[in-house]
Amino acid sequence: MKLKEIRSRIDKIDRELLVMLQERMGLALRSKKFKELISDPEREKDMLAQVERMSLDLIEHSFSKQLLKVIIAESKRLQKEDRPLVAFQGEHGAYGEVAARKLVPDGAYIPCMEFMDVFRGVEEGHLDLGVVPVENSLEGAVTQVNDLLTTTKLKVIGEAKVPVRHCLLATEDTDYREIRLVYSHPQALAQCRGFLSRNKLEPRPYYDTAGAAKMLARENPKAAAAIASSLSAELYNLSIIKEKIEDGHANSTRFLLLSKHQNNTGGDKTSIIFATPHKAGRLYSVLRLFAEAHINLTRIASMPLRTEPSNYSFFLDFEGSESDKKVAEVLKKMEKLTISMKYLGTYPADRDNDA
Amino acid sequence: MKNLKLASGKPGQKTIIDIDGVTIGSGLVVIAGPCSVESEEQMLAAAHAVKEAGAQMLRGGAFKPRTSPYAFQGLGLQGLKILEKAKKETGLPIVTEVIDPRDVSWIAEFADVLQIGTRNMQNFALLKEVGKSGKPVFLKRGMHSTLEEWLNCAEYILSEGNPDVILCERGIRTFEKYTRNTLDLSAVPAIQELTHLPIIIDPTHSTGRLSLIEPMSMAAVAAGCDGLMIEVHAKPEEALCDGAQSMTPAIFKHLMDRILPLHSFLADTHSTAEP
Repeated sequence: MKLKEIRSRIDKIDRELLVMLQERMGLALRSKKFKELISDPEREKDMLAQVERMSLDLIEHSFSKQLLKVIIAESKRLQKEDRPLVAFQGEHGAYGEVAARKLVPDGAYIPCMEFMDVFRGVEEGHLDLGVVPVENSLEGAVTQVNDLLTTTKLKVIGEAKVPVRHCLLATEDTDYREIRLVYSHPQALAQCRGFLSRNKLEPRPYYDTAGAAKMLARENPKAAAAIASSLSAELYNLSIIKEKIEDGHANSTRFLLLSKHQNNTGGDKTSIIFATPHKAGRLYSVLRLFAEAHINLTRIASMPLRTEPSNYSFFLDFEGSESDKKVAEVLKKMEKLTISMKYLGTYPADRDNDA
Repeated sequence: MKNLKLASGKPGQKTIIDIDGVTIGSGLVVIAGPCSVESEEQMLAAAHAVKEAGAQMLRGGAFKPRTSPYAFQGLGLQGLKILEKAKKETGLPIVTEVIDPRDVSWIAEFADVLQIGTRNMQNFALLKEVGKSGKPVFLKRGMHSTLEEWLNCAEYILSEGNPDVILCERGIRTFEKYTRNTLDLSAVPAIQELTHLPIIIDPTHSTGRLSLIEPMSMAAVAAGCDGLMIEVHAKPEEALCDGAQSMTPAIFKHLMDRILPLHSFLADTHSTAEP
């Protein structure tokens, strides 16, 4: 190994150290929910003692203890900052995090494995807010999330439409001409099918877009690339070979911001879920109320009811606030026509990316 | 000429190629830009300048076929991204040279037209590859090539199912040393007799002398060419290649102010002339 290679490996390790510290800080912020005071001297003593029990000949105890003390001090400083913990599904760099950053600019973004973890975390108070995707302009409804929305106690307090710009990412030392395999979430691979076929690239499904980027950066497999967000490129230090490689151009995903507490600052859009009796004309009678009140519907989607699969839940988004008189009247009339009704929340509509 | 099943012309038939709104094969199309993409700043400045002067397409090399391996080889992928940005800002379609068959599909993602350089005219593997890409191709004449060899190369591309070939005469090698190459303007009417494909002229690389570009451009328009490809650089003295023959934006504008009226005049008189 010559100097160039050595330095390149050192740089890689330094980056990984920081990525791991980021993860550690995220966990420290989550621990705050379970402590009364930020500072826990007993715990600090244990942490330093653990370091002392490790025997690494190039890392002297005095150095490692000093390093850990600096890390702990920074961790405590961050905990004092009082950033809201915003949960999203996926790894750092996922489009969910892009949405979270848009909705809560000063938050601490906490990656969760499953959508269920996002919901449960916020419901139990371990996390402050959650960001989940409800529909994608090409793929349609995100089934798992819609299902969880029917049973959750959480309220919707915001929405963000995130334009999905898929980027082809590779490690810096990869020659783009040699790329043969491309890793990403099956949905992302499907959305870039044209690009992959034109360049004779083989899609390899992976559980997550940002996860694929993370794996690529860490393992650096030969002749490989990943499809993920530009945020992932930034976080994992990957080169963007090309941006916007998706086939359909107006590809965007709509995310909802969830909270345990209702939004009291109002808004111009409302989401509800309801189910009607299984008889002809019942759905129509509900929709007619909105039509007659001139309330504009922005989304309607159906989903089989968990308890009786032959019956359906309807997701309805419309323009208006439940504090509007005509909206309140419609909702009241609806109660008589539905077998169940759930008000998810009123929030400000995201008009940023409207065509 | 034998065996040019697809390239041979039929009387009255002329191929018109649409490149993102710019049509080559009817009217006069001017393609301008620096020899190579040197930096984002340089390229964007050039793009805006040529657009203002009336050019309809932007050229710039990201992969350069230099005679010496030690000369600037081009910015590669980074150059392609800069070209993409120039298009985004000005709306001008992009033409750029491809040298390596492995780059064809990648360059096709960034550029609108793939250029085959004079030294690669008979690179048959490359011709097949650009044929398969389905992207419009500027096929430059080989500096030692006959019209028949040239049209056979076009046939290679056409036979892959790609009908969008634009021929580009850029000078042929003769014994003359004063000019870099000898611009063969007779190729314009000759080609128009032999094939339905459009033909454009590159007066920059052919003459290799700044002072000769304008008169030869005028002559090319008078001969009836479908377009011109001209090198324009904001600061030719700082160019990384071919600086001596590049026009400044001001000189280019002057050129445009002379050839456009000439072309209009010829088009008007042509339409009123009796056969």
